[in-house]
Amino acid sequence: MNNIEEQLWNYIDGNCTPDEQKNISSLIAGDEAWRVKYHELLNLNKEFSAIELDEPPMAFTYNIMEAIRTEHANVPLKSVINKRIIWGIAVFFVVTILALLVYIITNIKISAPNISFNAPANLKMPDIKNYISKPLIEAFFFFDVVLALFLSDAYLRTKKVSKHR
Amino acid sequence: MQSKLSDIELIEQTLAGNQAAYTDLVKRHQRFVFTLAMRFAKGREDAEEIAQDCFIKAYRSLASFNGQSKFSTWLYSIVYTTAMTFLRKKRVDTDSIDDENTYIQIENQSSGYDVNNAENKSRSFYLNQAIEQLLPDDAAIITLFYKGEQSLEEIGRALGMEANTVKVKLFRARQRLKEKLERNLKHEAKELI
Repeated sequence: MNNIEEQLWNYIDGNCTPDEQKNISSLIAGDEAWRVKYHELLNLNKEFSAIELDEPPMAFTYNIMEAIRTEHANVPLKSVINKRIIWGIAVFFVVTILALLVYIITNIKISAPNISFNAPANLKMPDIKNYISKPLIEAFFFFDVVLALFLSDAYLRTKKVSKHR
Repeated sequence: MQSKLSDIELIEQTLAGNQAAYTDLVKRHQRFVFTLAMRFAKGREDAEEIAQDCFIKAYRSLASFNGQSKFSTWLYSIVYTTAMTFLRKKRVDTDSIDDENTYIQIENQSSGYDVNNAENKSRSFYLNQAIEQLLPDDAAIITLFYKGEQSLEEIGRALGMEANTVKVKLFRARQRLKEKLERNLKHEAKELI
């Protein structure tokens, strides 16, 4: 059999069965010792509920988020960027370079004393001038600059973090 | 100002890459996590380290949170394991957590506390003082039950115990807290006389 205090705490916490609850209620109503103990525990319960929480330092949240950001910076760039994006950029550059090469080759005229080479007459390359416009070239260089800045920023951040360690 | 979104919504946003959502989550739970860490560490600096470590660990494994329990219950289980690891690292013999004698020194220090304005001290001061004198497990259970809005089952899940064990421990913790509170108040009354 539980002692009075244990039964009363169960009663206060609402961890009793309906029968136990009924029994304890009648004991509180009819027995002075139970009533006194019940009110004592009830007051303690009220007091315990008013426990104050400690306040963390002002920069607590900032420090956590900074630590998370630093951790992110440490992760290699290739593991956080979707591989499809990396492949897409690679394909873009390869195609651009190939197109430029083809354009250059088709416009080359090689002449030597006994050798003369001209591109076959039936080889008709698309006129690349139609596709390359000034805004396109500017956009291409702008993209390159942004990409270079982004990569160098990531590199410098990683370097800074490893220096601090 | 704190977000009105639920914990689950904030977690979803964090997982989608919105770090500001995690900031809100930290702000929401930081006071309780810090208090809980204080129950184990008994020092603000160590508690801060435990609490920060806990939030960083939670961020790393946020994707593994399956939502079967409350986020707070999951977070408090991380606080508990982080605190235990921290104490082990600090070469504190964790076996002695159940040894009341470990805290006799702390208790004596507190009972010898110089009170110049004892009459101005509120009962909550003595209550906090009594909590500090409790064993870490007792203090954590009391804090989780009264301030963490956790049921016995949830406390059990956070501390890796059965709900019945938590019930017995809570009963004993309350008894010890009551004794220490009465002892401290009696001591202060004697000082005043």
